[in-house]
Amino acid sequence: MIWRQALIIGTFTLLAVLVELTLLTRLGIPGATPDLVVVTVVAIALAMGPVQGAVAGFVSGLLLDLAPPGDTLVGVNAIVYVAIGFITGVVVDPRDRTVPIMMGIVGLSTGAAVLVISGLDTMLGSDRVDWEQVPALALTSALYGLILAPGVILVVSWVVRKSTPEVFVA
Amino acid sequence: MFSRRTRILLSVLVVASLTFVILDLRGGEGPFASVRAVAANVLGGLERAAATVFSPITGAGSWWSSMRDQANQIDTLSTENESLRSQLETLQADRTRVAALDGLLRVASVGQYRFVPAEVIAIGPTQDFSWTITVDAGRNDGIEQDMSVINGAGLIGRVLKTTADTSTVVLIVDQGSAVGGRIAGTGEIGIVAGVGVQDELEFELLDPLADVRVGDALVTFGSKGGRPYAPGLPIGEVIEVRGTGGQLTRVARVRPFADMSQLSIVGIVTKPPREDPRDSVLPKSEGLGIVPTPAPLVGPEDATADAEPAPGQESAATPEPGTAPEGETAAVPVDEAAP
Repeated sequence: MIWRQALIIGTFTLLAVLVELTLLTRLGIPGATPDLVVVTVVAIALAMGPVQGAVAGFVSGLLLDLAPPGDTLVGVNAIVYVAIGFITGVVVDPRDRTVPIMMGIVGLSTGAAVLVISGLDTMLGSDRVDWEQVPALALTSALYGLILAPGVILVVSWVVRKSTPEVFVA
Repeated sequence: MFSRRTRILLSVLVVASLTFVILDLRGGEGPFASVRAVAANVLGGLERAAATVFSPITGAGSWWSSMRDQANQIDTLSTENESLRSQLETLQADRTRVAALDGLLRVASVGQYRFVPAEVIAIGPTQDFSWTITVDAGRNDGIEQDMSVINGAGLIGRVLKTTADTSTVVLIVDQGSAVGGRIAGTGEIGIVAGVGVQDELEFELLDPLADVRVGDALVTFGSKGGRPYAPGLPIGEVIEVRGTGGQLTRVARVRPFADMSQLSIVGIVTKPPREDPRDSVLPKSEGLGIVPTPAPLVGPEDATADAEPAPGQESAATPEPGTAPEGETAAVPVDEAAP
């Protein structure tokens, strides 16, 4: 059932990228743009496991880098999201899946994503990163991640449980 | 810790990402650039489709985000609006003032009057049946009793009483007012009396045989020493002639040039010109007899005598240079002020 998993991962990541770039960026929300892509990666990792989380992170990061109007280095988002997907799948023990832990991992991931990507961009020679704004962006991103988390996790785990029950991490 | 498969997959993903980063860092054209362009094309198309789907929501979103600014914006705009409105009102008031002062300056410069500008600060109540106004210039400004008061259109009255800082002016339309008037051009003289109506005067000619026509303009005849009325000030225009030639008295109805109901800025003539400006102060656009003919500078007796051979014809008066003894003409009174 590897194709079905791939289809689920591809659909969710593509949807997340499109919604984030065409809808969430244009809502004029103060602070960071709600990082739906990271939330989706975390949700996939929680529902399917670390490997699938890493793949989802890789695909969505690459899509985010390649999709217009992206003008950042291709691959930076991918590395970070691979790490997020994999680590989420590994550290969260399927036996204590409580809502606070799941929301906490989403908040941590979205906040850390901002910090790590800013750091990587700076290390790789980009002079666009304004470090004075980074803390506020990380905080707001974490906050929006927490808000998005319940809905996204519910939808993703429901779809995964229905379509590919063999990989669903209960 | 992890299975071999997991480790391989993870390594592949990380290495692939790093490869992309390095390829992108190198920059320039190449297969990677074209791959990127193709991906951008495909994803761009998808984004357009998604944007169409989401357009109602993004519209609402922009509405929501602009809501945050709108309160501020409304504040700013209403403050600005208030200040602009008050500026506009000031501007309109200023324009009126400028126009009034312009007219005054024209009268004053053409006729060489010296005047003190003043603003009307009070108007006598209509039920008093007296046409009086109060202006904000008084003895401290050099105003004395019986000075002529004008505005841009012409004579409006004379100073009745003065205080230190204000003066009371009785308008020419007041029933007690009588002004010595002269028909521009022919020089026929008479008394212009008020009848208590704001836009009407009565002109009683001294010479019952004199020729008066509708449209003739009247100027002040001038009193001794310029008081109460300085010479040459435009009074009004004949609108109706009553009685025929040969009657004991002839009376004409005259409409004053100045609109007595709309007085704002007036000038009080403190010093009349050294020489009678004759008809030169009259508004140029008015009807007959107002063309500043080179009328001879003569006394009233001569003026009536002159009228007999050429009764009322401005054209007849014009080609008689012999009657202008010293070449002093009303058309150029300004230049003759120098001794």
